[in-house]
Amino acid sequence: MKPQENKPVGYCCAYTPPFLIRAAGFTPFRVLPVGKSPDQAGQLLHDNLCPHVKRILDRGLSNDLPDLSGMIFINSCDSMRRLSDAWKTSRPDDKTIVLELPSTKGERSITFYGDELSRLCETLAEWNDRSISDEDILEGIEIHNALVEKISALQRTVGQGQMPDGSRKLQEIYNFASTHSVEEAMIRIDGLLEEKREDIEGSDIVPIFISGNVLPDVEAFKLFESSGAAIVNDDLCTGSRMFSKLAISGSGNIFQSISRAIYSSPPCARTFDISDPGAIANEILSRANAAGAKGVILHTMKFCDPYLARIPYIRDHLREASMPFLVIEGDCTMGSMGQQQTRIEAFVEMLR
Amino acid sequence: MMYQYFNDLAAGLQAKIDENPEKTNARKKYVREVAKLGSRLYSENQSIAWCGICVPFDLLNVMGVTSCFVEFVGALMATNEIADHSIVLAEQAGYASDTCAYHRSVTGAFLENILPVPDFVIGTSSPCTAGLTVMENMARVMKKDLFVLNVPQIPTDQNVRYLADQIRDLVSFISDHTGQALDKERLKEAVQKTNQTRSLLLEIYDYAAMVPSPVNSKLLRDFGIVLPLFFGTDGVIEVCKAYRDELKGTIDSKKSGIEDEKIRLMWIQNRIQFKTDIDNMLEEEFHANIVIDELNTINWGPIDPEDPYEGFARRIISLPIGTDIEHRMKHMKDLAEKYKIVGAINPCHWGCRQGTGSRGMIGKGMKEIGIPVLNLEVDCVDSRNFAPNQVRTRIEAFMEMLENQ
Repeated sequence: MKPQENKPVGYCCAYTPPFLIRAAGFTPFRVLPVGKSPDQAGQLLHDNLCPHVKRILDRGLSNDLPDLSGMIFINSCDSMRRLSDAWKTSRPDDKTIVLELPSTKGERSITFYGDELSRLCETLAEWNDRSISDEDILEGIEIHNALVEKISALQRTVGQGQMPDGSRKLQEIYNFASTHSVEEAMIRIDGLLEEKREDIEGSDIVPIFISGNVLPDVEAFKLFESSGAAIVNDDLCTGSRMFSKLAISGSGNIFQSISRAIYSSPPCARTFDISDPGAIANEILSRANAAGAKGVILHTMKFCDPYLARIPYIRDHLREASMPFLVIEGDCTMGSMGQQQTRIEAFVEMLR
Repeated sequence: MMYQYFNDLAAGLQAKIDENPEKTNARKKYVREVAKLGSRLYSENQSIAWCGICVPFDLLNVMGVTSCFVEFVGALMATNEIADHSIVLAEQAGYASDTCAYHRSVTGAFLENILPVPDFVIGTSSPCTAGLTVMENMARVMKKDLFVLNVPQIPTDQNVRYLADQIRDLVSFISDHTGQALDKERLKEAVQKTNQTRSLLLEIYDYAAMVPSPVNSKLLRDFGIVLPLFFGTDGVIEVCKAYRDELKGTIDSKKSGIEDEKIRLMWIQNRIQFKTDIDNMLEEEFHANIVIDELNTINWGPIDPEDPYEGFARRIISLPIGTDIEHRMKHMKDLAEKYKIVGAINPCHWGCRQGTGSRGMIGKGMKEIGIPVLNLEVDCVDSRNFAPNQVRTRIEAFMEMLENQ
């Protein structure tokens, strides 16, 4: 496959389906909260708002972005709503769309979000002045799933400790794959998989599961590894949650099928099942156990209401299951991660 | 104990109203309705639901469900100076101090088992994510069934239909739990009462907009957000008529809400719930009057009594703090023009991603029409961090600036 050179369309939430952007002839570009844009978001957003959205807005205000053909927002939480407000206020000439994403699982939510995805597709088609067929979308999904396969292979390699500095490299791939074409990402992953080594001696590194929301900084993963942790899996929205395999079943309305698949994928804290309130605690425990983790580190953005409100009972549930648990709050800077280093080291030390 | 307290309060207020029934007694009638609600919540023979702010309470009232949104409990606790204790309890249980204190106080209260146990819980995704997490947590801790209304932020036809369908689902959910089907005739009557209430509120708000205003800074505080609890009942009509008559009486007698009104202000979002000297200071020292609260508004049309679901949905989506900044700023600018305000105060409630989160955009938007905004950095429920002298200094400076305009 040759790298495509399509114009980028920006997005900032893991609930955005990148393959629809691709099917419309664009390259999906996740606006990650990284880089060195000066802190200006405070002009529009209060200090007590999620640092993730503020860093994204900083990039928008500094024009630290490629020439985006449009920007997709999701009404996934209050902070994301504020980001779309602030973006439209500060960059009024940008083409934007805000998708409504119901907070709860269920048939009505699936149907509604399916309709929203259809609306997204119509909008993307308009932005690129072309039509989008079901075949285009299915092809986009197929390519997306091929990427997910490659990433899964890399995740397994890293999880099994067969790649030195693997967690950092995996995060680099997550970041690269969410901001470049699938073709370029696959070439890079293939190159990385060649570094796989099966002769690495077992060491006293401690398998850890990382849960939470936004942590794209590769240096953070370097810090985990230097503290003696091996990240065996994650459910971060800047990590594995961006690359879930999409199982589209049968015929019928394709957007409804995509919506169903999205609601079946691992959720972030903002999406829950009304028939099982608080289920997130058990979901994290199950994922950690499945990954063979000895402990869970939950990393959340400061001021993230969906996570902050659930941490107390996640902690209780993991304690009852004798799964060691550490919470760290971040603000999209390594400064805050650096301050947590001693806690991370002590946590890992305790698990040895 | 709480049942007795509310019962006695309601009875006492009724006795005072009966002493002089010719008087409008607006405030007494309003507080009486709140006390009656409190009494029903703590009585043991009621179907009870704890709810999010946007639930259509007229529907629940018709279906015999005593219900209240949890933020109002937080507000009442702060007013009665018992919120801080519950907030500390919530924080000790691990709930972060960076979150909204309305929600922390309620969380502390239900963790301490001082809230009545509901029959079920109804959350709403608007106006805030945090509010919904409280409802999920409450359902988890109290082991009660949960229903959630997912509220889109823009009133497109598709969004309205989606929400209306969810409200129909809510009817089934309630019926399944109470064992009582919805009486369509009673619903029709309740919606007619809601429409009558709507007309009365429009009259009240039109009176409040007059110059000078017949309201003072306290009279309609948090009125628009609390009153929907009583929609669809005779009680709310009596309350609204009393307020309407009281304001009309003030205007007819050529009086005003405060003496020599000079500065007209808008209060953004909710008031500070614990006792402060802000209202008195504004009125007595600066002849400044809060003539409009952002949420004292009717921006929804009459609801069709024969088929009210889309009307309910449009009303829910119309809540200014649940919508996007474009709709919200248009609303605030319309209010600014109608009420002829010269300044606005945004309390910037710590932990709130609506009023506080939008602070910069609100300031920018109001500046476009020449209205300065004073941002107070406060917590409207948690009094522990309130710095009265600091707030006083900021208000004084703002008032001086407005006086010199």
